[in-house]
Amino acid sequence: MASHHQIPPTQPPSGATPIIELDRVSFRYPGAERDSLRNVCLRIDEGDFVAVIGGNGSGKTTLCKTFNGLVPHFWEGEFAGEATVAGIDTYESSVAALSATVGYVYQDFQNQLVRPRVRDEVEFGPVNFGMADYAERALEAMHTLGIDHLADRFVWQLSGGQAHLVALASVLAMRPRVIVVDEPVAEVDPAGAHALYERLTELNERHGITVVVIEHHAEFIAQYAKSVVLMDDGAPVWHLPAPQAAARAAELAAHGIPAPQIVEACEGLDLQAAPRTVDEAAAVLRTAGAEQRTTWPPIASASSDAPEGRVVAVARGVSHGYKSVSGELLPVLDGIDLTVRAGDRVALVGGNGAGKSTLMRLLCGLQVPRAGTITLDGIDTRRSSATKLADHAAYLFQRPEQMFLKDSIRSDVRMFPAGRKRADADALVDRVLDRVRLADLADRDGRTLSGGQQRRATLAIGLAMTPSLLLADEPTASLDVASRNSVIDMLEELRGAIDAAVVATHDMHLVAEWATRVIVLGGGGVLADVTPTELFASDDLLAGAHVVPPQVTALGRALGIVPAPLSVAQWREAVVLTETEVRA
Amino acid sequence: MSRKQRDVLSVEWVKLELIRTAYATRGGLFARMDPRMVLAWYLLLAIVPWFTHNLVTVIGLFVITAASAALARVGPLVLGLFIIGFVGDFFWAFAAAWLFGGDAGTALALVELNLKLATVSLASIAAFVSLDPESLSTGLLAWRAPELLAFGVSYGYRMMPILFEEFGVVFTGLRLRSAPGPRGFLGWRALLRWGTWAVQAFYPIFLNTAKSVRTTVESLETRGFTANQGRELRISQLRIGVLDVAVVAVTVVAVVGAFELGAVVTLG
Repeated sequence: MASHHQIPPTQPPSGATPIIELDRVSFRYPGAERDSLRNVCLRIDEGDFVAVIGGNGSGKTTLCKTFNGLVPHFWEGEFAGEATVAGIDTYESSVAALSATVGYVYQDFQNQLVRPRVRDEVEFGPVNFGMADYAERALEAMHTLGIDHLADRFVWQLSGGQAHLVALASVLAMRPRVIVVDEPVAEVDPAGAHALYERLTELNERHGITVVVIEHHAEFIAQYAKSVVLMDDGAPVWHLPAPQAAARAAELAAHGIPAPQIVEACEGLDLQAAPRTVDEAAAVLRTAGAEQRTTWPPIASASSDAPEGRVVAVARGVSHGYKSVSGELLPVLDGIDLTVRAGDRVALVGGNGAGKSTLMRLLCGLQVPRAGTITLDGIDTRRSSATKLADHAAYLFQRPEQMFLKDSIRSDVRMFPAGRKRADADALVDRVLDRVRLADLADRDGRTLSGGQQRRATLAIGLAMTPSLLLADEPTASLDVASRNSVIDMLEELRGAIDAAVVATHDMHLVAEWATRVIVLGGGGVLADVTPTELFASDDLLAGAHVVPPQVTALGRALGIVPAPLSVAQWREAVVLTETEVRA
Repeated sequence: MSRKQRDVLSVEWVKLELIRTAYATRGGLFARMDPRMVLAWYLLLAIVPWFTHNLVTVIGLFVITAASAALARVGPLVLGLFIIGFVGDFFWAFAAAWLFGGDAGTALALVELNLKLATVSLASIAAFVSLDPESLSTGLLAWRAPELLAFGVSYGYRMMPILFEEFGVVFTGLRLRSAPGPRGFLGWRALLRWGTWAVQAFYPIFLNTAKSVRTTVESLETRGFTANQGRELRISQLRIGVLDVAVVAVTVVAVVGAFELGAVVTLG
């Protein structure tokens, strides 16, 4: 199986000069049993926009850390071979010297910010190296990324997307020739992720900076990358120009990178095409004669006329706000009216600061509103304590590790039922762990699990509370596509266990495939209370909610299919190629 | 029982107060000064009280630092904690003097010591409430403190709101997922529960933080923190102005005045 390592990986044909060259590089972390990099030969040309892809543990991050000398200077393992960056042999150089050439933005970029204010943060590198023009460099970097207005903010006041740009600016201030970004999409919302990629593209095209991204999401690779390196088991399988790489959909899927929805949509119609953007896909499909099936939409099933479910939670005239550092009251919600009924699967959407988390904290009684009332299972939340209300509503925090209070998943799940002396606590814990398919890992500390497993563990914690109402804050954030789908499936299966679920999210795949009701928050109130189909049909609502529809839905709209399909499965039901129909 | 959104004496309030204090967002006299001069001013008032046993002089010095604390716009949390400590100390001083068979003289000696401690505390409060992390760290650098200490101060301030936020979230989780119990006499059972949760909260916080610090350390390395060539640049941002000289001069005059007063006036 190792045969492909002997063959030098295919190089994109070009006459450009190489900026990064690895020649038979191997690396083993101290104490590790096998090499993390195995005989890597790789050449990256100056001005390229490279996506490094591959499964977990394939060596993507270790590879990128050889570029700026963290391997082998910071991580002192066994290093063999030769790595040359901009003509410098990294083994002879140092991390500090290389940082003038290679900038590195981490996946958990929040931890990369070490100074209190944005300006200090961006100046930090140049000042450390004693560059007299540090102020101009910082201004230039902030200006290039369009974050001048953030200069005097505290770093902990920034939204995820803003913090990401600050981290990028802080490496840009060193005027590097290469920028490495580890999983840019992981921690920011879709609109923020696109914005970051646009900036990176601009840096690449306008300033000639070589960009290397580690990326899981095929849609971003297809749209932005110029070439793709596929890593497997510590070595590159190939390095190909992006269009050729995108055409190898089956191989990518085998390495945990499902094809973008637009490619799947073409495949669903037996059309051989690898469009990079929704517009390209729409053009291809128009030429091919894609049309709405006469059977679409399917006649609504009787369930939509079913009697409305029991009322689970009600908000009446709810207003809330927080005190700011300067002492004034910042209003967040203003006169919200809302009823959640049994059977509802509600997605709360809206821009950062629209009050999604606040509304959820009020609904579960963690906080009480400044004005108006919240009634949960018939109890006024003001008349009960948060601890008692936890019998009725479970709230899952955004970051899973904040919910791991004990040293194993089992004790975390058991904590609530055992604390309330439920006789069937152990049986319940076993049942719940089975349900989220974590029975085998139940004795591990939650922090040692993968992202998807962590989310499922938090779901188990919520389920063991046997609530009427389950509230989850961004349950699919920072997951790769496969783990995200497994979490969506799991939410889908909860139907019998809980009465209603409310999820705050930026993930439009979750909204499209799971929600029955979307509540758009904005300007302190409810902008809309609609079905996912209605949300994606309205440009005004999409803009107001700061969301981007899933590719397949956008494609459906572009082709004039009404209602636009919400998933690839629906797409197959909705669209047909006219020629096929004629032949049939 | 009816719950209400509380803006004072809540966890959120403590967090905001800590931020306001740490980042000197209230402004005030010393916040406008050069950090080097603020540190010098602080050292002056922190050392001087230990050179006298004259109660009048000590009272005079106390008044100076109390006025400084007012000018520095110290927030209610820090001031409240100070007053609780101050009043408590007096109480214990008298209790100790009485228990161990001391007389008025013993009590007076203890009062003098407590006043000195209070003077130094007020001076540190006034100074450090007014220094935001950047200027404090630069000021320390200018006075030849090691680079690592200067950075540690700045990084500590940067982490503080995050750690506090993390603590709040973990504590909330414990509160929601633990069994509700009786309040007990004067709420002692509730207090005991809260205390237990506060201790239990440290396990997840330490582990979560340890994970994130790895990135920070790597990032410091890549951004030349260990290259250590930035000291001169940082210090060159500082300027000593008229205000700095004036404040230190007025303080010196006031301190000399307090000593003069002590020599002239006698108590009892």
